[in-house]
Amino acid sequence: MNSQSQRRKNFKIEAFKHKVELDPKYAERTWKVLEHAIHEIYNNNASRLSFEELYRSAYNMVLHKYGDKLYSGLVATMTAHLNKIAKSVESAQGGLFLEKLNHKWADHNKALQMIRDILMYMDRSYVPTSHKTPVHELGLNLWSDHIIHSPNIQARLQDTLLDLVQRERTGDVINRGLMRNITKMLMDLGSSVYQDDFEKPFLDVSACFYSGESQQFIECCDCGSYLKKAERRLNEEMERVSHYLDAKTEVKITSVVEREMIANHMQRLVHMDNSGLVNMLIDDKYDDLSRMYSLFKRVPEGLSTIRDVMTSYLRERGRVLVTDTERLKDPVEFVQCLLNEKDKHDKIISTAFNNDKTFQNALNSSFEYFINLNNRSPEFISLYLDDKLRKGLKGASEEEVEVVLDKVMMLFRYLQEKDVFEKYYKQHLAKRLLSGKTVSDDAERSMIVKLKTECGYQFTSKLEGMFTDMKTSEDTMLDFYAKQSAELGDGPTLAVQILTTGSWPTQPTAACNLPPEILTVCEKFRTYYLGTHSGRRLTWQTNMGTADIKATFGKGHKHELNVSTYQMCVLMLFNSADGLTYREIEQATEVPALDLKRCLQSLACVKGKNVLRKEPMSKDISEEDVFYFNDKFTSKFVKVKIGTVVAQKESEPEKQETRQRVEEDRKPQIEAAIVRIMKSRRVLDHNSIVAEVTKQLQSRFLPNPVVIKKRIESLIEREFLERDKADRKLYRYLA
Amino acid sequence: MASRDRVRFNVGGQLFETTSTTLANAGRESMLGALLDESWNPGQPEYFIDRNPACFSTLLDLLRTGALHIPSNVPEKLLYREALYYGLLDHVRGAKWGPFDGNTLRLADSVPGRAPGDGTAIRGAPDGGCCVAHGSVVHVYNWMLEERRPISLDYQQVNDVGYIDANSIVITARERLGKGDGGMAVFSAATGELRHRFRVEHGRQPKSFTAGALSLAGLDDHRIFSSCKGRLNEYGIGVWDHNTGQQVDFFYEHPGCSLGDADKLQWLPSKNCLMVATLFPRTDNCFIGLLDLRDKSIPWCWSDAGITMNLEDKRVLHAIAMEDGHSICVINQYDDLGFIDLRAGNTNSAGTGVRWSSRSKLMNQKVPYEESCYPKLATHNGQLFSCMNDSISVFSGSEHVLTSTLRRSYGGSICDFSIGGDRLFALHNEENVFDVWDSPPCPII
Repeated sequence: MNSQSQRRKNFKIEAFKHKVELDPKYAERTWKVLEHAIHEIYNNNASRLSFEELYRSAYNMVLHKYGDKLYSGLVATMTAHLNKIAKSVESAQGGLFLEKLNHKWADHNKALQMIRDILMYMDRSYVPTSHKTPVHELGLNLWSDHIIHSPNIQARLQDTLLDLVQRERTGDVINRGLMRNITKMLMDLGSSVYQDDFEKPFLDVSACFYSGESQQFIECCDCGSYLKKAERRLNEEMERVSHYLDAKTEVKITSVVEREMIANHMQRLVHMDNSGLVNMLIDDKYDDLSRMYSLFKRVPEGLSTIRDVMTSYLRERGRVLVTDTERLKDPVEFVQCLLNEKDKHDKIISTAFNNDKTFQNALNSSFEYFINLNNRSPEFISLYLDDKLRKGLKGASEEEVEVVLDKVMMLFRYLQEKDVFEKYYKQHLAKRLLSGKTVSDDAERSMIVKLKTECGYQFTSKLEGMFTDMKTSEDTMLDFYAKQSAELGDGPTLAVQILTTGSWPTQPTAACNLPPEILTVCEKFRTYYLGTHSGRRLTWQTNMGTADIKATFGKGHKHELNVSTYQMCVLMLFNSADGLTYREIEQATEVPALDLKRCLQSLACVKGKNVLRKEPMSKDISEEDVFYFNDKFTSKFVKVKIGTVVAQKESEPEKQETRQRVEEDRKPQIEAAIVRIMKSRRVLDHNSIVAEVTKQLQSRFLPNPVVIKKRIESLIEREFLERDKADRKLYRYLA
Repeated sequence: MASRDRVRFNVGGQLFETTSTTLANAGRESMLGALLDESWNPGQPEYFIDRNPACFSTLLDLLRTGALHIPSNVPEKLLYREALYYGLLDHVRGAKWGPFDGNTLRLADSVPGRAPGDGTAIRGAPDGGCCVAHGSVVHVYNWMLEERRPISLDYQQVNDVGYIDANSIVITARERLGKGDGGMAVFSAATGELRHRFRVEHGRQPKSFTAGALSLAGLDDHRIFSSCKGRLNEYGIGVWDHNTGQQVDFFYEHPGCSLGDADKLQWLPSKNCLMVATLFPRTDNCFIGLLDLRDKSIPWCWSDAGITMNLEDKRVLHAIAMEDGHSICVINQYDDLGFIDLRAGNTNSAGTGVRWSSRSKLMNQKVPYEESCYPKLATHNGQLFSCMNDSISVFSGSEHVLTSTLRRSYGGSICDFSIGGDRLFALHNEENVFDVWDSPPCPII
C-alpha cells in the first residue's frame, strides 16, 4: 500500500496542452511559398503553380492565426510589384505610354483575380472579422495609389487623355478602344478616381475650349450656321461619352457645351443682325428655328428668351398692321392679313417649336394685344365674315367653309369688345338675310353655333330669332297667296318679311309713300296678317326692301330692273311724267333726303345703269336738279341690278352712332353685374366690385372702370346700394 | 467528348469522379470554381485535395442534387468547417432547411443558455441565425447556432433587440441615471463591435434616454423607430436613419397615449404609418394607435380606457398589425384572438370594436400554479402565430383556423418567439433554452 502511494506521488501530471504548437518556422515557410506564387503570377508563370497547394497554405495560415502576417505580406508584395510596374509604365515613350498602362492594367487584373483565388478563404473569414479591405478592392486601391497617383504618371496620364480628346475635337482620329479601356480602368478604380483624375479636368478643359471656339464662331458666323455648329459639337460630345466615357459624364459635359456655346451667347444670337430670330421668323426658316428651339431648350431661360423676342416682334408687327391706314381701307383685306399672319406663325410653332404650349400662349396674347389696339377690329371681322358669307365661299366645300369660320372664330376670341362685334354681326346678318344674299344657310347656322359655344345662349338668341323670322315669313307668304290669289289678280307680287321688333337692328323710320299699285297689295296683306294674328302691329320698313320692275326703253328695249324699294318708288313716278325736279320727287315719295340722294345717284350717275338722266350732268345730286326718263338706256343684260349701297365699312358718323349704342347697351349689363355681385356679397369695397364686374363681363367686353363707377353712383341714386356710413369706400346692398 | 467534361479528384486518398457541369454549381466564387478556372492550369488528369473525403462526398452530392444529406458518421460542425474551406457554406445553409411554412415545422435544434434570470427577447436573423436578450447581455448565434461574442450596451438592462440585416444588431437599453449610458446602439453581429449609438436631441442638446420597443421601416427605407423615455419631456417615438445613426424625427406624446412606454411598434408600409401599442400590464389601459409621422397626427386609435375592469375581464396583452394592413390582431389572457378593423371608422373608444374569435380551448387547462408568460403574436406569409404557456399555435387561411401546435415538454413556458431566415425561434422561460424550428427541404418526390 505504502509503496503504491509513494509511486503515485512521484507520478507527475503534465499540464494539458491546448494546441500542438506548430513549427515556429511554419508560418514563415508557408508565406514564402505564397509570396513566390504571387511573384510567379505577376511574371506570368502561373502554370507551374498548384492551386490546391497554395489555397491550402493560405487556409492554414488563416486557421493558425497568421492572417495578419498573410495580409500584410500580400500588401507588401503587391506594392513592390506595382512599384516595378510603375517604373516600366513611366519609361514608356510618348504614344506607347497609354498602351503600356493598358497592358499592365490587364495583367494586374488577371493577377489580382488569381491572387484572390488563392486567398479566397482569407477573404471569407479573416477579412470581415478584422476590418480589412477585401483582396480585390485592395488590389484596386494599391493600383490607384502606386500607379495612377504616382507623381510621374498622374499628370502625364491626365495630359495624355485630355490631349487625345483635344485632338479628336480638332478632327484627328484617335484610338477610341484604348481610350475606352483607360477610362474604364479609372471607373473601376472608383467613381472618385474617375472624377478627380479625369472628369473634373476634362470638364474644365472643355469649358475653356468651347468658350474660345464659341467666341470665334460668333464673330464670323450668322446665327443659323452658329447654331448648326453648336448642335454638331453637342452631338459629338454625346457620341464621345457613349464611346469611351462614363454615362454619367454626359449630363456634365453637355451642360458645359450648353453653357459655353448657348447660354453665354443667347442674347447675341437671337438679336443677331440680318440672321437673328426675327429674320428667321420673317423668312420662315423652319430648320433654323427648330434648331434654335431644341438648343435653347437645354439651357435655363433659353425658351423664355426666344419667346420674349418673338412676342415683342409679333406685337410690333401687329401694331403696325392694325394701324396702317392704307390697310384699313379694305376691311376684308385687313382681316385676311391678320389670318395669314396667324397661319404663318401657327405653322412656325407647330413645325419648329414642337407645338410648345407656352409659345402658343405667347402668340395668342400677342394677337389679343394688337387686335384690340384698333377699335374697328370687331366691325372688320364681321365685315370679313359678311364678305365670305355673301360670295367668298361660293363653291367651297363644307370642310373649307368650316376652316374659314374656325379661323375667324379664333380672331373673335382675341376681341375684347365682343358685344361690338355682335352689334355689327347682327346688322350685317340682317342685310344678308333680307337681301337674300347669303350663300349658304348651313354656313350661316354653323357660324351661329360657333358663336353660341363660344359666348353662350344669350349672345346668339336674337341672331337665331332672325332666322326664325325668315322661315315664318316664307310660310306666311305661301299661305297668303294660297288664300288670296283670287282677289289679287294681276297686281304686283309682294314678298313680305315679318321682322320681330327687337331681334333685328331696325331703326324706326317713317315709311315713304308707296305707289298706289303696291299700296293696295300691302293693305290686303295687312288685313290678312292682322286677321290671323290679333294684337300685333305692322310697320313697313320701306328703307330695307327691294323690288324687281320691268321697264321698256326706247326702240322697245325691255329690261328687268332690280332696285331698292325707294328706287322703285322714284321710278314709278316716271310712268306718268317724263321729267321731275328733285323737289317734286321728294314731295311725292317722302323718302328721307339722305336716302333719296343716294338712290338718285345710283339711278342717274352710274355708267351703264343710268336709267334716269339728270340735268345738269354732274356727279352729285343737288336740290335744283331735274331728272328725266333715259330713253336711250341700253344694256347687254336683260336683268340690270341697280347698285344699292351694300353693307360697307361704316362712315365716321355711323361708327360714332354704333359706338354710342354699344355704350348704351353696356350700361344695363354693368348694372346687372353689380347687382348680382352685391346681392351675394352684401358689403364690398369699390376696387373689389370693379375687379369682379370686369371678371364677369370680360367674355363680352372690357368695362371701363369710370363707367362702372358711374353705374354704381346711379344705383346708389336709385337706392339699390348705399355707402357705408363709417367707411365711405364700402358699398352696402339694399334689399 | 464526354470524357473531357469529366474531372477526377483524389481527396485525402479517396478517388472521386465527377463532371465540370456538376462542379459549375459551386460557382466561380468557390474553391472548386477557382480550381477549374482557366486562369489556373485546368485539364489535369487528377486533382489532389488534402481534405476529409467523407465531407467531400457529402458536399459533392450537394452539388449534384442540390440536397443535403449528412451521414451519421459525419459531425455537422465538421461538415460546416469543410464547407467553409470549399466556399460552399451558403450552399449548405440553403439546402439545410426549406421555405418556411408554419404547418411543416420540425424541431431542428435546442440550445441551452447559461444566463441567469428571465429571457427578454429572441430574434431571428435574416440568414437563420438568432440573438437572445437576457438581462443586460445579448447572446448572438450564427445560423450554425455557434455562439459569437455576446453584446451589451454598457451592461444596461436590454429592452428590445432587432436585426437591421444579417450582420447588424440594434439594441435598446435602459439609461443609467447621471451617465450617458444605455439608450440605443447598433453592433456587428459577427464581431460584437459597437458600430454607432443613436442619440436623442432636444433643442440640439443630447439627452440620455431609455429606449423601449423597436421597429424597422423596411428594405429600402432606412428609418428605425423606438419608443423613448427620458427624465424631462423626452417621451415619445424617436426616428433615426439606421445607416448614419442620425436622428431624423421625434414624435412627442399626445395626452392620453403613453408612447414612451410602448410594448410594440410596427411600421405599416401600406398606410405609411407606425402602429404603436401600449398594453396591459405595463399600463392599466390599453392603447393602440397609428402615427402619421409626416404631419404628426394620429389618424386612427383604439383604447379600452373607461370600462371598469376586473381581473377576469379580457385584457389585450399583445397586438400585431396583419400583413394586409386592414386589421390589427390582438390576444388576451385566455389565448383568445381578436381583430380590430383598421378601415372602419376613425377612432374606437371604450374597448369596443374588437371582434373576439373565442376558441375557449385553453381556459380550462390553465394551470394556476405554473409560472406563465404573457402571450405574443407574430405573422408570416399570411400565417398567424401565437404563443401561450409552452406551445405555439399556427393559424392559417383568411379565417385564421388553428392548423398546428408546436410544443415541447422541456424548458417551461415560452416567453418570446420570433420568425427570421425561414426559421422560428422560441425562447423558454426556464433553463434559458431556446428551440429552433424549421421546415424541411422539399421532399424527394
